Amino acid sequence: MIKADQLCRKFGEIYAVQDLSFHVRKGEVMGLLGPNGAGKSTTMKMLTCFLPPSSGEASIDSVPLQDSIAVRRKLGYLPENAPSYADLDVLSHLKFVGTMHGLTDATLLDRISEMERLCGLTQVMHRRIDELSKGFRQRVGLAASMLHDPDCLIFDEPTTGLDPNQIVEIRHLIRRLGEKKTVLLSSHLLPEVEAVCDRMMIIDQGILQVIGTSEELARQAQGESVLYVRFKESAEQVLNLVAEAFPDIEVKARDTNHPHSYAIYHSDADLPLAEKLFYSAVASDAVILEMQPEKATLEDVFRELTGAAQ
Amino acid sequence: MNIALTICWKEWRVALDTPLGYVVAVAFLLAAGFFFGSNLFLAGQADMRGYFSIMPLLLMFFIPAMTMRMLSDEQRSGTFELLATMPVRTRDIVAGKFLAVMAQVSALLALTLFYPASLALIGNLDGGQVAAAYLALFLLAACYVSVSLYASALTSHAVVAYVIGFGLLFGLFIIMQAMPTFSPATQDFLAVFTPLAHYHFMLRGVIGLDDIGTLLSVTVLFLTLTWFQLERRRWR
Repeated sequence: MIKADQLCRKFGEIYAVQDLSFHVRKGEVMGLLGPNGAGKSTTMKMLTCFLPPSSGEASIDSVPLQDSIAVRRKLGYLPENAPSYADLDVLSHLKFVGTMHGLTDATLLDRISEMERLCGLTQVMHRRIDELSKGFRQRVGLAASMLHDPDCLIFDEPTTGLDPNQIVEIRHLIRRLGEKKTVLLSSHLLPEVEAVCDRMMIIDQGILQVIGTSEELARQAQGESVLYVRFKESAEQVLNLVAEAFPDIEVKARDTNHPHSYAIYHSDADLPLAEKLFYSAVASDAVILEMQPEKATLEDVFRELTGAAQ
Repeated sequence: MNIALTICWKEWRVALDTPLGYVVAVAFLLAAGFFFGSNLFLAGQADMRGYFSIMPLLLMFFIPAMTMRMLSDEQRSGTFELLATMPVRTRDIVAGKFLAVMAQVSALLALTLFYPASLALIGNLDGGQVAAAYLALFLLAACYVSVSLYASALTSHAVVAYVIGFGLLFGLFIIMQAMPTFSPATQDFLAVFTPLAHYHFMLRGVIGLDDIGTLLSVTVLFLTLTWFQLERRRWR
């Protein structure tokens, strides 16, 4: 549905986006992740025909970006910060956007009332937009982007400025949209992307670092897995037994409030370490009070790939 | 064309909903009324030439004010991104904005028709001359609107747009004023580019094709420049 091939955008001599190639399938929710200034917005601006790419190609539903009017008809776009005409009331703004997208009067009002319900705008329909809170403005922006019922939606940071309840609502909305439509959304909030998206890609300094489902990404992370364990009493014997069985692991005493706490690092995620630890403890009559495995999370992946780990 | 009219209608609504439109309208009508009345009672003649020769100066101040936020605000508030990613062509955006200001200016000029109407009631007014003058005024206003619209496309600050627009119009005015100091050959050459000179020709009540042509072509020239300026920032 959305296809980018070697997309580049230069500002002066600096690449904002470099050789970006990806494919969003029909009916998929794709997350575009990256730190601030990574090129997320630039990518979206190119896909929505706002900024011409310096080189490379992209297409929406097999329509190349060069055919910009046709592409724009297929797209619903929510720009960053959801700009809307502050001097108009919500209803007039939506009417304006709908008419500009070529909706006729008959369908326009139907669509507006549907969006009103979907985005929870009923109480503000006749208020001026510059009187609205950030959350409502964001919702007006969402409503405007979906008004002409496009197959493909591009949202640039759809949940900024919303309170936690609204964030959950918008996530539900996007999930529901994702059942029928293709959605590309950008965010620098990991939990959001993890909660909403089928697949995600991480870009940093304009370069695509990785693309896949959250599990795939986490598996790709080179960060070691850790097993935290706490014994009731000193348990050198247990640890020695485990270390004998798995020579690759690294055991470190943890500096916590509790004595006899250890962190066991290992690089093989499939290692039956917890099991071995349990049986060794049973064999040496030691008591395990606490055991907690920790896998590399998306956050680790993100930190590693975007250079924040160094 | 439908798109242009939609933009025009939206701007018209904004103008009716915000104080700026009313402030400019009231100030313009007050100033126009003052210049109409002051000459009239001094001369004691049913003649509006004095009024019409001062109108370009008024428009020079007021039209940039009515036009300044048309495109600059769109860029500052980010709505230009919204507008530019709609399935519309840049020429429709330019046409819509131009028509919007022209509609407002025309409404103001229509309100000033009260002056010739009242003069015609009490004196013997040359209707043909006034009609030609209004046509000239309308065309000159179109020129000024397109120049101001170009200024508005250059910057994202409304006040800067006003200053640039006023500066450009003032430049045209200065060329007109400086005309007699040039050699006749230069004067002929400059007259081609000076909408104001053609406006003054038309005030005599003669509607020349070259006058209309010049005023229209300056309008089209600046609308094209505006189009270029916007096109630079977006996809075709």
